[in-house]
Formats: sequence, structure tokens, C-alpha cells
Amino acid sequence: MSLRILLVDSDPERARALEKTLADAGFTQLSHPDADGDLVDTVRRLAPDLVIFDMALPDRDALEGVRALSSAAPRPIVMFSDKDDPAFVGDAIAAGVCSYNLSGVSDRDMKAIVASAVALFQRYARVETELAAATAQLEERRVIERAKALLMAERKVTEPQAYRWLRSKAMNDNRRIAEVAADVIKDHDADGLLK
Amino acid sequence: MSDAVSFRSAPGRTIAIGLLRLTDSAPAIVAHEFGFFADEGLDVALSVEPSWANVADKLAYGALNAAVMIPPLAFAVSLGLRGPAEPLIIPYCVSLGGDTITLAKDLAGELRDQAREVGWAAALAARLAAPGGFGTLAVVHDYSNHNLFLRYWLAAAGALAERDYDVVVTPPARMVEALRSGRIAGFCAGAPWGDIAERAGVGATVATSGDVWRNGPGKALAVRERWSKENPEALAGLLRALYRAARFCDAPANATYVASLLARRAWLAVDSHAILSSLPGTAGRNQSRFQGSAATYPWRSQALWFLTEMTRWGLIDGALQLGAIAERVYRPDLYGAALAPGGASIPAMDRKREGEHAADWSLPASPAPIPMGPDLFCDKAIFEPEDAQ
Repeated sequence: MSLRILLVDSDPERARALEKTLADAGFTQLSHPDADGDLVDTVRRLAPDLVIFDMALPDRDALEGVRALSSAAPRPIVMFSDKDDPAFVGDAIAAGVCSYNLSGVSDRDMKAIVASAVALFQRYARVETELAAATAQLEERRVIERAKALLMAERKVTEPQAYRWLRSKAMNDNRRIAEVAADVIKDHDADGLLK
Repeated sequence: MSDAVSFRSAPGRTIAIGLLRLTDSAPAIVAHEFGFFADEGLDVALSVEPSWANVADKLAYGALNAAVMIPPLAFAVSLGLRGPAEPLIIPYCVSLGGDTITLAKDLAGELRDQAREVGWAAALAARLAAPGGFGTLAVVHDYSNHNLFLRYWLAAAGALAERDYDVVVTPPARMVEALRSGRIAGFCAGAPWGDIAERAGVGATVATSGDVWRNGPGKALAVRERWSKENPEALAGLLRALYRAARFCDAPANATYVASLLARRAWLAVDSHAILSSLPGTAGRNQSRFQGSAATYPWRSQALWFLTEMTRWGLIDGALQLGAIAERVYRPDLYGAALAPGGASIPAMDRKREGEHAADWSLPASPAPIPMGPDLFCDKAIFEPEDAQ
């Protein structure tokens, strides 16, 4: 298929994955903007039929100022189009990806391409959420370990006693153990500053 | 205005409000951080967006219920000028002033002597209009206050956009790089981005939106009309919480606090000093107002000024009934209904002659008149809202 597609993504790994997906589906004219080039210049030079755009990038505003010159009448570049299925657009927005159709690419082609981008963005978002949750869990464990060590040193108690103290304080205050532990560390650090 | 696409509403009762990394997002951030929204029984999620286009599309498709926004873009979304049409209302304004016109440091240096004699607008206009002087200036969006203010300021000094200079759109976060590479000669953008360019050593701020229009309008709260009709109580609560936060943000004693709050990574993620310099009561000359001078009241005369200027520069169709658009979008009635019961002073009219006060003045309002600052335009013109229907 001879559609020219420009992929504008802040995440190079995700961009490569999308490029591979589209290439496997037979789209061969794929390009990316230069790292330090002006996006508007790139769009003018390449005259893509379709731009797939990472909504986390600020450059969409610049792109909106560009008139699509490839069509008969210059018109502003708009995301998707008025007649698009709102649920489809909603999924894309929620995934953080949008597309600009610059030359009247057929709805069917456009949707297939955008849908694969949406799926990829969703998969990356899920990985990030899982990673963030795992990191948060690790951080909580680190905080609790440190608080236990401080309590053991300051109060001359055993590890199980320190943990029981944290747990009962958390239950009394109706808070999470990690929050109580963070307070113990904060108090200790503040004392340290005063010494 | 045609009713456009409907899209499922946000999950639960959470109210999603969009904003950009700008100093005049302060009242929304303060209302959120201090629990003012929660005090009104509202569950608000603030969404920091990287572009105005995101804000506009998310409002149009219902992923946001409201946003701290530039008024011309609210008109553009309502009229379907940049994508699907979705009626938006402005029941509340967020700020006065707060924008800068910042030139490349070298250019400002070359023009400085002349500017001392004739002023910066005339000096820059003369340079742009001279043979070989054609330059490129950047604004943050086609449908922005900044685009209209910059064009107005230079036109009053004799330089016309497209004839004497080009206007391009560059995101604020890319302005420093664009100045450094010479791609643009200057820009008009909201705080703190002028200050950031100065601190990076590539720009010099030569004027502020106050030099174009003293105490002129800044950002506004744009709300999906549909949501506002279905949730009148929540809307009133939003306005009360923002008004309370605006009072906090306007107090000079709170400026350092507000600056360090906004500087956090979750919000603007920039140097707090760059934010501080445009907060009320600090030493900087580009100061936003959040509550004083009736900053929060949605003046229909200001709606008409925006619409008139949008027509002037070909951004909207000159055949449209501007009066009807201004009345549908700007909603001082909702402002009064939300804030009058709490004792806020409500102006006695919904429009005024803009630009006729060279000094402080008193605005008739109930229960008490409101002290107002001067409101002159750079060309001393007076804008008659009745002429712009």
C-alpha cells in the first residue's frame, strides 16, 4: 500500500514496535521526524497522508497551524474527522494517541492503522502501570525495613517487636504501615538535623 | 453551534479539569491541593495536558468536563473551527494579564536604544516593516489570546501580520530552543515561559499583555455546556472553590508559597523563581491577577472583544452574529448564581466599555462596589460592546 505515514512518538521503542506492525501489514512508506528537526517543516517536506501522533508531546498545537496543502483546498489539519465514531476516538484519546488524516485516507484504512496504534499504546501503558505498582511496592518494603532498623537501634527492641509496634500504631491510627514507617523515618531525620 | 459528538462521561462522579503548565493554573492547583473542591463535596481530578489541542479535543469528546483555557479556543471549539463542535460555556474567568512578549536577546539589544525613544512596539514594528526586516514571531496557538494581543500591539504600531512578519505556532516548552536556533525572533506566551527564556539567556521580555491591554483578560474556565446543565450544583461548587483559591493566590503574602507549590514535578515542573516573578505582589512587572479588579467575572464585553479581533484576523467568519455567540458562551448569570449567596460582589452589568480608564476606578456592584485597576489599550482605543453585535 502506498500510504505515506509519519509516526511522531516520544518513545522510540514503541515507535519501532508500531513501525514493525505496520510494515508487516504492508505499509512501507513509514517515517519519523528528525530528533532535532522542526515538526512543521517535516510535515511540509514529507507531505504524509497520515500522521500518527503521541498526545504526550506538546507539538500538536504547532501542527494545527499547518494547512494541509496536499488536498485541493488548503484546510486546517484536524484530528480524525467529524464523522468519526466517538467511541473509537475516545479509546484513542484514552490511550494517548491521535491521528491526522491529511489527504482523505479512507476511513477503513485509517481505522485499521489507528487501531493498531491504540493497541500498542495501551499495551505500553499497562506495562508502565504494572512497573509503577511494582516500584511502589518495593519502595514500601524499603521504608518499612529502614523504620524497623531505626526502632531497633533507638528502642533496643527485636525486629518482631519493632514490626508489631508499627503494625499496632497503623491499626490505631487507621493508616497503612508504610505511612507510619515513613513518619518514623521523617522524625528520625528531623532529629538528626537538630543534633 | 451544532450539537456534536457525544462520548461516555468520565467514570463515577469525578470531575476532570484540564490545565497547562502555566502560572495562571494557580487557582485550580491551589483549590485542589488545599481541598477546596473536596469542601464543596466535589471529586476533582486535575489533568496536566501538554498542548491546547489536547485540552480542546478532550473537552470536545468528553474526556474532560472543564479546563483552564484561552477564551478564543473556547469559541473555536464551540463553533467547530478546529475539529468537532461541542458547545462550551465560560461561567468564570481565572486571571488577568500574565503573558509576555519576549524577543531574542540579540534583537532586543539592537532595538533597545530606539525603544527608549519610541517604545518597544514602534521599535519592533519599524524593524519588521523595514526592507529585509521580515521576521517570524511565535504564539502558543492560532486561537489564543497571545495571537490576538501580539497582532493588536504590532498593528497599533504599524506592522501587520503576514505582510510584515509571519506568525507561527510553537509550544511554550519549545520556545527557548526556537529562540536559540534563530527559528523565531520572539514570542508571546503565558508566564512563566518568558521568564524561563530570560533565565536561559536567550530572550529578553520587552512587553507584557498589560502593555497591550492593562488588566486585560487572561485564562477562563471553559466548561462543557452539556455537563453544566446536568450538574448545576457541581458547577456552582467548582466556581466557589476556585473563587476561594483565587483570593489566596492574589494575596502577596502567599506568593512564595504558591510558587513553590506550582513548581512541583506534578504541576509545572519548572524553577519556582520563574513562577514567583509573575505572581501578585512580587517585584516582577508581568503580574497576573486572580481575584482583584473583578478578575473572575465573565464580561460579555471581553467576549465580544475577542470575537471582534478573531474576525479582524480572519480566524472566524465575519458574517457570524457575535452578540449571540458571546451570550451563549459567556455566562455571568451562572457566576452570580454561584457566588452571590456567599457574599461576593457581583457587577451590576454584564458588559462595559473596555479601555476607558487611565486610572483606578470603582465598578458598581452588589453588595459593594469593586475597586478596579486601569484598563487602557496600547492604542488608547475604546471598545464599545454595543458596536460589536
